[in-house]
Amino acid sequence: MPPIVNYLWAGTFLLQLVVGTLIVIRGYFRRLPFFSAYTALNLCQAVSLYAMYHYYGDASTQSYIVAWVSEAITLAARLWATVELLRLVLMSYRGIWGMTWRLLAFTCPMVLALVGIFSRSDAQVFVMQVDSGYHIVFAVALILCLGLLHYYPIRVEPVYKVLLLGFCWYSCARILANAALHGFSYAQYLHYWSVWQILSMSPYLLVLILWASALSQPAPATQQQPTLLTASEYRDIAPEITAQLQAINRRLMNFWKIQGPKQ
Amino acid sequence: MNYSVAVFASIGLLLLLVMAWLAFSATRRQPQGVRDGSRERECIHISKLPQIRQALADSDFIYLNQRGYPALAKRIGNERRRIALNYLACLRVEFEKLLKLARMVAALSPNLVVAQEVQGLRLNLEFWYRYYLIYFRLVSGVGQLKAIGSLSNMVSALTIRLETAMSELGERAALGAELLPHNRGGLDAGG
Repeated sequence: MPPIVNYLWAGTFLLQLVVGTLIVIRGYFRRLPFFSAYTALNLCQAVSLYAMYHYYGDASTQSYIVAWVSEAITLAARLWATVELLRLVLMSYRGIWGMTWRLLAFTCPMVLALVGIFSRSDAQVFVMQVDSGYHIVFAVALILCLGLLHYYPIRVEPVYKVLLLGFCWYSCARILANAALHGFSYAQYLHYWSVWQILSMSPYLLVLILWASALSQPAPATQQQPTLLTASEYRDIAPEITAQLQAINRRLMNFWKIQGPKQ
Repeated sequence: MNYSVAVFASIGLLLLLVMAWLAFSATRRQPQGVRDGSRERECIHISKLPQIRQALADSDFIYLNQRGYPALAKRIGNERRRIALNYLACLRVEFEKLLKLARMVAALSPNLVVAQEVQGLRLNLEFWYRYYLIYFRLVSGVGQLKAIGSLSNMVSALTIRLETAMSELGERAALGAELLPHNRGGLDAGG
């Protein structure tokens, strides 16, 4: 492996250790067990892959299989960690949480179908495209959730925001890295694997730095549960507000047609 | 470069841009008027409709032109356009108030009707489209200033009705109101 890849491995490994330590010291592991497990799995993946590359070489079949199997495991762990974070943020807002699930159930299969349509049926790049497909669905789902948090007045603790944005940034960066490598036919290039490693690990390094700085802050106090309205109150008020917003829009639409009062 | 790569790259870039917007849009500084409440205070006068109507009437403008004072007429025209723009800004404040209430009610509801929320989002997008359309028409001098008057009646009435409805929610509404200043957008990363 080229020296820069070694440095990136060492950097990400050290930062993962720092993030893991902060999770323990700051007590986040009690509130975020899945996120803690994800961090631990990432550490294990880094150690096992380094050993595989060292003994079998980075171009061997054994390394390839171990790399992608461990990647699948960490991707599943990342999904759970994200759901856990979203649940933590939205658990006080039952209506929004319920709507988020319905929205994701509707959107994710559609995105998945689109990814399938636009993927190449080339066996050589199949795994890479599955990886890209996962990251696209993951990023779309996460951005939808972040959009809902942005739209509604929901208080999100800065540390949770940074963790969610870190996941989202990493997925977007992976989609772009995979696309760029395929686009420029790096598969034919001798150092393809090293370039892919650099493009994958650099954004993750950035994410780990952000996470470490966010997790270095004390864990936020447990949020006070807001008193929810009753279902009938929502049914009464929401259509009223919508009707009034509609009325304003109708007036704006007719803005230039409205006649002023007779002088 | 084949089409699938282009599609994947475009999706990646688009997602990255949306994420950046979501991450940073809530941290942008509010205009001075909103922060110190001067815009809110200005908009209290939204109910002074007769005076605004008078200011926007064409009669003075026509009179000055007929009497041969085009420079003065132009200056007054610009002043009135400024008044119209300020008034439009006040309407926006009123609309935003309504929308905040709608979001607050939705956030505090145990069950949301998706169609209702989607309709709210659609109305929001429509409002902003029309608002900027009218804004640019006013700025470019195409619009009839007197048309604005009729809008204020409606918005003021709506606000009063809504505030009455919300006051009935008592403590719950107050609790919801506490949420708003903390995080309008929810994603002021690092904030």
